[in-house]
Amino acid sequence: MNVAAVESWIEAPLRRYVDDARARIAVLLHPSGQVMAQAGFTRDVDVMAACALAAAAHATSGELGRRLDGHPFRGVHYAGATHQLFLSALETRRGTYLCLTVFDETSSLGLVRLYCEELRRALISAAPNAITARPTPTLAADFEVELNRNLAALFSGPKGAAVIS
Amino acid sequence: MSLVNYATREITCKIVYYGPGRSGKTTNLHYIYGQVPDDRKGKMVSLATQTDRTLFFDFLPLDLGTISGFTTKFQLYTVPGQVYYATTRRLVLQGADGVVFVADSQAHQLDENIESLQDLHANLADQGIDARAMPLVLQYNKQDLPSDLILGTSLLSDALNFREVPEFSADALHGPGVFESLRSIAELVLKRLSSGAPDPAPMAAAAR
Repeated sequence: MNVAAVESWIEAPLRRYVDDARARIAVLLHPSGQVMAQAGFTRDVDVMAACALAAAAHATSGELGRRLDGHPFRGVHYAGATHQLFLSALETRRGTYLCLTVFDETSSLGLVRLYCEELRRALISAAPNAITARPTPTLAADFEVELNRNLAALFSGPKGAAVIS
Repeated sequence: MSLVNYATREITCKIVYYGPGRSGKTTNLHYIYGQVPDDRKGKMVSLATQTDRTLFFDFLPLDLGTISGFTTKFQLYTVPGQVYYATTRRLVLQGADGVVFVADSQAHQLDENIESLQDLHANLADQGIDARAMPLVLQYNKQDLPSDLILGTSLLSDALNFREVPEFSADALHGPGVFESLRSIAELVLKRLSSGAPDPAPMAAAAR
């Protein structure tokens, strides 16, 4: 199983969650849609697009919950013909994360929900106590040169525009 | 909230294209999508109505290549411009590292541009973000239209650019100004990241 995480303390709990819940894929993301960690058969999925859509679904269901129920809905379940997904918000000391879980007939919603709660607890205990000072990526002083070169490569022959002022 | 993965030396930043309805935000992304080689872009996702108006957002992931040893990825989002999608705009704006404000240069759209810019500031404030700390670029789109229909860039600048941020004349349908706006916001965001300034969004640090 492939596991990749922006923060290393997430890896072990997420790997265990995928095993225990018999999930195909689990992705931990920030509510803004940024991928924090992924585990499982993620090559089948465009993870970035899935996270953007999952963040939207979470935001939408949260807002619907607030308007209809007075509180945001904390979990969303969609059932397809062969695959199902469960999307849940997990509060940790490092803030709120969303967990997007894709599973098939080898698992069940009950199992996924059960272990999702365990994942939440595992993340709380694994999270570093304090947010340490955020390291800064050291970009070369002339990184604009590389940026311009890379952007020019993206737009082969960009058309010019007037830069005002 | 820029994500920096030191293990894989990867930077991911979120850029939001903001502006009034029909100003050309989605057109910017379509132009970018059409110009960028397949191996440097992901699939463009559009949640739109049947008449192709943006309902929730457009999303385009871009791989900018390696900058100072970091694989640099940008996620471009648009917001729906219509006034009644205020909640959606707030949600899409969450965690943004930079904003390209796409103004409609047509004279009769001036009030909508101003209202949308005020809406941007209000939504940032709602999220506890000082708008002055958010990297911002202004794009005056549709400058290709007949001159009697549009406002000149100096007039638009007077009305909208009180922060004196980088500003660009554009014709997003055909390309001029699109690349320059993206280059400028990318530079502002990366400069900010490199300087160690705190994220505009008050969120947990994600770097390790």
